[in-house]
Amino acid sequence: MSEKNRIGVFLCHCGGNISDNVDLDYIEERLSENDEICSIKHHENLCSLEGRNIIKDQILRQDLDRVVISACSKITHGATFQKYIKPLNPYLFEMPNVREQCSWVTENKQESTDKALSLINSAVESVKYNEPLKKIPTSVKNSVLVIGAGISGITTANSLAKQGMEVTLIEKRPAVGGAMVQVGKVFTPDKMSEDCAACLLNPVIDEMVHNDNITLLTNTVLEKSTRNSGNFDVILRKKPDYVNPDKCTSCGKCTESCPTFAPDEWNEGLNDRKAIYKPFPQAVPSTYTLDDESCVKCGACLNVCPTNAINLDAIDEIISLTVGSVVIASGHQRFDTSKRPEYGHPFYEDVLSQMQLARLMGVNGPTHGHLQVPSTGKVPRRVVMIQCVGSRDQMPEGHKYCSKVCCMVALKNANLIHSHYPDTEVIICYTDIRTLGVYEKYYKYVQNNGIKFVRGRPGEIAREDDHMVVRVEDTLNRDKIEIPTDLVVLSAALESSEGTIEAAKTLGVPLTEDKFVKEKHPKMQPVSTDIEGIFVCGTAQGPKDITDSIIQANTAATKISELVNGGLEVEPFIATINVKKCILCGNCIENCRYQALTMYHNSIRVGPIACTGCGDCIVTCPEEAISIQGQSDEKLRASIAGLLKDKKEDEQVIIAFLDDIGNVSANNMGINRVDCPSSIRIINVPFINRVKYSHIKYALTHGADGVFLGEYPDTPKHNEIRENVNIMKKHLEEDGINPERLLIHSVFIPYFRGLANQFKEFDEELQILSK
Amino acid sequence: MTKLNRREMGNSSEEDLAHRVLKDIKAPSDLGLLRCVQCGLCTSMCPASRHSEYDAREIIKRVLDNDESIIDDEIIWNCFYCYTCHSVCPVGNSVCEVNQILREMAIQKDVGKKQIESFMSFADSYLAEGLGIIPEEYHGQLKIDYGKHWENLQEQLQDIREDLGLESMYLLPEAKESVDKTLEAIGFKKRVQEIKDVRNRK
Repeated sequence: MSEKNRIGVFLCHCGGNISDNVDLDYIEERLSENDEICSIKHHENLCSLEGRNIIKDQILRQDLDRVVISACSKITHGATFQKYIKPLNPYLFEMPNVREQCSWVTENKQESTDKALSLINSAVESVKYNEPLKKIPTSVKNSVLVIGAGISGITTANSLAKQGMEVTLIEKRPAVGGAMVQVGKVFTPDKMSEDCAACLLNPVIDEMVHNDNITLLTNTVLEKSTRNSGNFDVILRKKPDYVNPDKCTSCGKCTESCPTFAPDEWNEGLNDRKAIYKPFPQAVPSTYTLDDESCVKCGACLNVCPTNAINLDAIDEIISLTVGSVVIASGHQRFDTSKRPEYGHPFYEDVLSQMQLARLMGVNGPTHGHLQVPSTGKVPRRVVMIQCVGSRDQMPEGHKYCSKVCCMVALKNANLIHSHYPDTEVIICYTDIRTLGVYEKYYKYVQNNGIKFVRGRPGEIAREDDHMVVRVEDTLNRDKIEIPTDLVVLSAALESSEGTIEAAKTLGVPLTEDKFVKEKHPKMQPVSTDIEGIFVCGTAQGPKDITDSIIQANTAATKISELVNGGLEVEPFIATINVKKCILCGNCIENCRYQALTMYHNSIRVGPIACTGCGDCIVTCPEEAISIQGQSDEKLRASIAGLLKDKKEDEQVIIAFLDDIGNVSANNMGINRVDCPSSIRIINVPFINRVKYSHIKYALTHGADGVFLGEYPDTPKHNEIRENVNIMKKHLEEDGINPERLLIHSVFIPYFRGLANQFKEFDEELQILSK
Repeated sequence: MTKLNRREMGNSSEEDLAHRVLKDIKAPSDLGLLRCVQCGLCTSMCPASRHSEYDAREIIKRVLDNDESIIDDEIIWNCFYCYTCHSVCPVGNSVCEVNQILREMAIQKDVGKKQIESFMSFADSYLAEGLGIIPEEYHGQLKIDYGKHWENLQEQLQDIREDLGLESMYLLPEAKESVDKTLEAIGFKKRVQEIKDVRNRK
């Protein structure tokens, strides 16, 4: 850097959040000693439009070539300030986080001010190495794979197809429609009635069937997916077509002749079906299907089929596709109530789940819509419903979350029973009734119809003579009661389906602690996932009702449309390979966990969408041919130098290199106002392996008392990183530096208190060490 | 007319009964006391609630309501630690463990000492032999409960043990001395004496 820079520093007060605890006048005074800083301005709220004008004005008037915004987190406000520094190149600025990582976590104002100065100095030094960069435009293929043909998947597929995209819709089961086609009746917001689910769903299914842009594959699962630049190379496996769909006329003779029975999934196992069957009369596709797990291959069906449509030797089909985006719409399953044996499932025949009750009440169900007690065949005198079975339950195998729809499901089924069988009494045992928004009106309507409610969570069900008793405390009057009943209905939790968990695993998309597909941001980006180009909607993302599933499905389609039509611009911080140095050894390709590097015509290509710029490949290259754009070694060294620049005699400084997870965790420390020693100075690096030994040695020989590495351990590189730290510690020893001054520790986003404690302990240890 | 209970503002404190229970050494670190939503699942399964005026849920309600009178209430002595409430609670609360803490608070006061004073003969036999032996005074009831078989066993215990080749069940003098010292050091003896003293204060 021979030429002098013209740097502008802007100090945000953040409405007192920063200025109350950092002496910004003192900072201004100190910064003005630096002759490369040509402008220093304060503002109450820099992110306001007024702030924008100040920044722009100074850039133009003072002819600034670099900008430092001393404010809050780059994660939340980086994009805003990137726009505010126009006409400068959007990458020629740095944002020291003096709010979350300084003013909010440091009690003493003097210490807070010293720390803020050091963070700003670091940004000033490092911004000198910023290069003008451009986002990388990429194009995304106009084809989409949608996993799961329930209401969510079909809705997304329809929307995408109408926008001109080529959709492949796959469904694990032999027929489409998911849970919605099973429930029979649905509740509709703002309407005091139950609607026919099939009547609402059929037009949507028809639209899907008749859209030429959609290819529907039933009995099909995703087997493999590999990233190929912006696209996904996927392999699908379709179960054998034992019944040729082109020949089958749905006459049903095969079913009549079949001697083998299996539990009928469509009716929740309440009755049996044949091994060759049609899932239900209105099934789409309407072709008969064969369940090869129960089929004994006797050949009876072959003899009766008038069109020779059956081939028992059919084999499964492997289909390979390249798509630009993937939508996970693989839905939910219901909590296995036999995990709560105190409620009698499956010992007592007359304990049902809400879905079984729905089948029993369905006109196309096993009793053609007649409500009968399974053991007696009679209409029940009383039905007791138990809410929150497996939901709001932190016991093993239970789910801590509320399943969101069960209150409405119970009210709906209770009201259905009431309207068809007015002599049957229905009692709902609940902890809280959650009927948000307009659903509350339906709750009142059902109450008005005479459905009874007991406020208490039953502990057990016992059998007595010809009926059962439900033991519960009526918590409103402290009555310990036993309710005799003919039928018990359990409102089982919605949980992530096996298919959802498998799809996420195959695609490499993370799951939440509840095993649902994790969104990129649970509030702000509810359909995106951590992997660019993979989206989620419906109950695969969490419990929700049909309306919410449809909203989310359409949102996912819109997001894909943005990608395809608007193109995708990715951050330029990706690996670049110096072709003159590269010897095509392939080490980096093997090492990359994002599959971002591929060999292409005698050169190594970096997929700009897949590459996260973690820099892990840098160390694997024997020729030092790889670098990360805009993240040079020199820049990292300058950040360190800046942090140590104005270090006071008696001041202890610990440089904490945190990966992205660690950096978020540190921000959470600030948001939650958890105290953090003022010695901690954070440098966010994309990946811990990015920090080289030379950086650590530089820090420890230029004034840093300690170096802390904060690593998110749940990556395949964890062991390698830890080993690397041991090697670095040996190097330190050889170089005459106490290796205790280097510490690596695991970081997790929610455990910010743990991180604060680690910082505190390390700070104390170093104080002892220095004595 | 019941009296309207007016709750003044600015009284919430970390020193209320619920927080004192949570801070007790006996409370597990993740005890779900404050997460209780009064669903009543514990009561519906609780044998003591089924057969007496005790109500597991209500114990928690009174603790959360900062109702100090629960410490003096004899109802907390109805729980017999079957741990059913503990094993079924959907929010990880444990009525029986809360009870144990309330009882210890009661023991700190005379009211609790009176509840357990009658068990001090167990402590005496422990102090005398360093072993948990059922005191003589309970033998009559045990004979009724378990019958002749149990009585025979007690009478012939020494012979049976000899037949089985077992050594004396009593501690060696040095072990006994060591137990005795330990009981002294941890304040067991003092505590037993304090509980017994409550008798004299009646």
